[in-house]
Amino acid sequence: MLINQRFPGAAAARAALPLFPRPSMAGLKNYSPHTRLTFSPFNSAPRGDTLVVVFLRGAADGLNMVIPHADEEYHRLRPSLRLPRPDDSRVAEDKRTIDLDGFFGFHPALRPLLPAWGAGQLACIQACGAPDESRSHFKAMELMERGVSEESGPATGWIGRHLASLDTNNPSPLRAIGLGEQIPRSLYGPIPASSLRSIADFHLGDSKAAQALASALSVLYAGEKDLCVTGQETLQIMETLGKLDPIHYSSSGSAYPESDFGHGLLQIAMLIKAEVGLETAAIDLGGWDTHFAQGVQDGQMARLMEDLSAGLAAFHSDLEKHMSGITLVVMTEFGRRAYENASLGTDHGHGGLMFVLGGSVNGGQVITRWPGLKKENLVGPGDLAVTTDYRDVLGEIFSKRLNSTALPDIFPGYEPKPVEVVK
Amino acid sequence: MDITRRDFLKVLGILGAGAGAAAGCSPLASYLPTQSTGYPDSPQISSPEWRALNRLSFGPRPEERQRLTEIGLGNYLEEQLSPEKISDHKTNLLLSRIEVLEMDADALRNRGDKIFDNSDPALVLDDFRQATTLRQVYSKRQLEEVLVEFWTDHFNISVQKGDCWFLKIVDDREVIRKHALGNFRELLGASAHSPAMLVYLDNQENHKDAPNENYARELLELHSLGVQGGYSQEDVMELARCLTGWRIKEHFWRGKLKFDQDTHTPGAKTVLGKTIQPTGKGEIDQVLDILAKHPSTAKTICTKLARRFLADDPPREIVNKASQIFLESRGDIKAVLRTILLDGFPHINTENSPRKYKRPVNYLISALRSSGADTDGGRALQRYLKSMGQPLYDWPTPDGYPDTSAAWQGNLLPRWRFALDLVQNRIKGTKFDLKSYLVDIQEGDASFFIDRVANNLLGGSLPPGMEIELLSTLEETLGGNPLQAAEVVIAGVLASPAFQWR
Repeated sequence: MLINQRFPGAAAARAALPLFPRPSMAGLKNYSPHTRLTFSPFNSAPRGDTLVVVFLRGAADGLNMVIPHADEEYHRLRPSLRLPRPDDSRVAEDKRTIDLDGFFGFHPALRPLLPAWGAGQLACIQACGAPDESRSHFKAMELMERGVSEESGPATGWIGRHLASLDTNNPSPLRAIGLGEQIPRSLYGPIPASSLRSIADFHLGDSKAAQALASALSVLYAGEKDLCVTGQETLQIMETLGKLDPIHYSSSGSAYPESDFGHGLLQIAMLIKAEVGLETAAIDLGGWDTHFAQGVQDGQMARLMEDLSAGLAAFHSDLEKHMSGITLVVMTEFGRRAYENASLGTDHGHGGLMFVLGGSVNGGQVITRWPGLKKENLVGPGDLAVTTDYRDVLGEIFSKRLNSTALPDIFPGYEPKPVEVVK
Repeated sequence: MDITRRDFLKVLGILGAGAGAAAGCSPLASYLPTQSTGYPDSPQISSPEWRALNRLSFGPRPEERQRLTEIGLGNYLEEQLSPEKISDHKTNLLLSRIEVLEMDADALRNRGDKIFDNSDPALVLDDFRQATTLRQVYSKRQLEEVLVEFWTDHFNISVQKGDCWFLKIVDDREVIRKHALGNFRELLGASAHSPAMLVYLDNQENHKDAPNENYARELLELHSLGVQGGYSQEDVMELARCLTGWRIKEHFWRGKLKFDQDTHTPGAKTVLGKTIQPTGKGEIDQVLDILAKHPSTAKTICTKLARRFLADDPPREIVNKASQIFLESRGDIKAVLRTILLDGFPHINTENSPRKYKRPVNYLISALRSSGADTDGGRALQRYLKSMGQPLYDWPTPDGYPDTSAAWQGNLLPRWRFALDLVQNRIKGTKFDLKSYLVDIQEGDASFFIDRVANNLLGGSLPPGMEIELLSTLEETLGGNPLQAAEVVIAGVLASPAFQWR
């Protein structure tokens, strides 16, 4: 047929009308990595864990989250911002550091994380981060999300390169999503990722015109250019999600916080339970750039920590039965200065904090080679040193939990070292 | 099987024939205006002109196409570079009703006070956003508006932070709009003395006893030299010391800037290897003089401008040449733009040259402009910008909304919803007129209709095969309802890949 020859995509789409096209596996192969990727050997393996990446934008102050309460220097450098020691009887117990291992302790706003910690499914990595010392949010975030040490490295993101380097025989358009309106840099790559804010709202409506528009779009987006692929995937996601019932979703009694972050984690949980092919999801929690009045037990940073911990705790209990197939990572571009500034805040620092949550995590421990906070141990203008590269953590997750054999492509020029954070 | 011309015509028949065309009175015919005034067709335009016009505006209107074809790109650009000479009564009239545009900080603050004015900050911001949208939609000084948006990102201030919800309105007037097509040094100076910036980047917390580095760092990294511009952490800390002492008045003359010598760090400082004399409130100007003349600043600004107007990865030779002009002209923004646009446009002229993905504001405004819709720019419309990811004045971090395609391409659905809601008149305060598209359309002449839609919205036509596909699809779903089919054609083109690019 004439139309077939000219517009094979359109014709394939028409065959599936009046609903939306669902390109066959063969169709999807056209967009698969080998046609566009020159750097990567193409591997095939069953998919591993679902990877969820939480990025704390603005450089979270790890020293006031997983607190080195037994390090005297911490208390000296932060006379106003320090959290009281776990045994400081001058303040109420719920205002003190929650001891974890005799040296480190949680900020009281992280109390909701204790069940996951106790279950051995949550680990913290202290004094970790990237070697970049620019102390620029934007450069640091960019390099970290690209997974490179140098500006000259590949422009794609580390999650994007993982997806492109591993064929998991998963044709789902939901292999990779970003929660929100923009696509995080880490997802950039040849496999298009989609933005999603709300499963319940992911449709054009059910009017006749809306259905006609969807059919028209399957024609208009026929083709293999980037945007056409994204458009076709958007149509497919609409179809897939249209079959879910987000209104009656049961979150196993877990209460997600009423925030963008809580709502976003809930969407991820729904997608995981619905088994629609989600492999990686990225979600941001912003606002951590606390130069001014960051607060101690209360205030802006405590509110962020409450959002974070309540969200993660709800996600953990909601997906209790699925945890063996989930690894969630919390990361930030760098930590904040060891000493407080005069605005009751902290300036840009270096060494930071990560959390790893999941069924196969070697949890219940703070993994660190603690560099110390003495003057001679600090770097730059007075910052915690980085003793664990963030790529050590991610690399281990990729190879042990996501069946990746392409670490040299994912983190070019870097050879991740073992940290034993996952089994 | 092949499609014959006869089949082709049959397919096209959906727009006019309508099953119930009894007594020669089809639904479509009864809907048509009786006079063919207000004929909406835009003049034909060449592909390079179309692209140029898309970069110089928020999406071309018919009269702008007309003007460009008449006087040529060079003259058109000169006209747009002198916005004060373009009379724009309609926009002025629309804006004259928006009082917040003329108010000083104190009056704006009072306006947001529920007790005295039956108002609140959200309503003040509604007015401000509405004004911006109206300007982008209606202003004939389109290039100026494009530049205003550019500098708004470059000197980003989120209205979520502290008093920025009213101070940003003053910043928009006194900093961004005043200098958008002026001189970069003056723009940088105005921004450095903007109360909104002082609040947004914490410089009012910057004391001699322990400096707050936030503004100092972003001034170097984002506003001038760029992250690779050749400064050190020590430069950031020294600059922060130069910037101590600036405060905002709180009672009399609320919202105005003042300099407090007592909290300023005394003594000479060294920034970028140069000594800054201890002149107190003059130190900031000594620093800005150095920054504005610095080759790294020229490169940063020219790269960003070329990225906005030409390509995500702009041609190096254009950036270099523009940087040269930037330095020679001491930051004359118009001179730099001439180079980027006139020398740069040949690089974006061909079918295969890089394109720019419309950011949400650009997408939404261009849909309104090229479809001829009218809007009040109110809250209902603003909600769509939020769903697409670019609510006005709401980007939290000082780097401004991203300007590369990859950041935005994954979020098509909100654009599709907007296109449909626009065409179906489901957006409160926004009116789309389908009738104007149906003028002179004969029954059954879907092809003419589609050509008109594609010419107006895409500056060209759909590939012939795609047109057939589209029509036969619509015949299946909306065969009995030609008006709705016409709506879906327009929504479809607004939602199509071709309309997502500038």
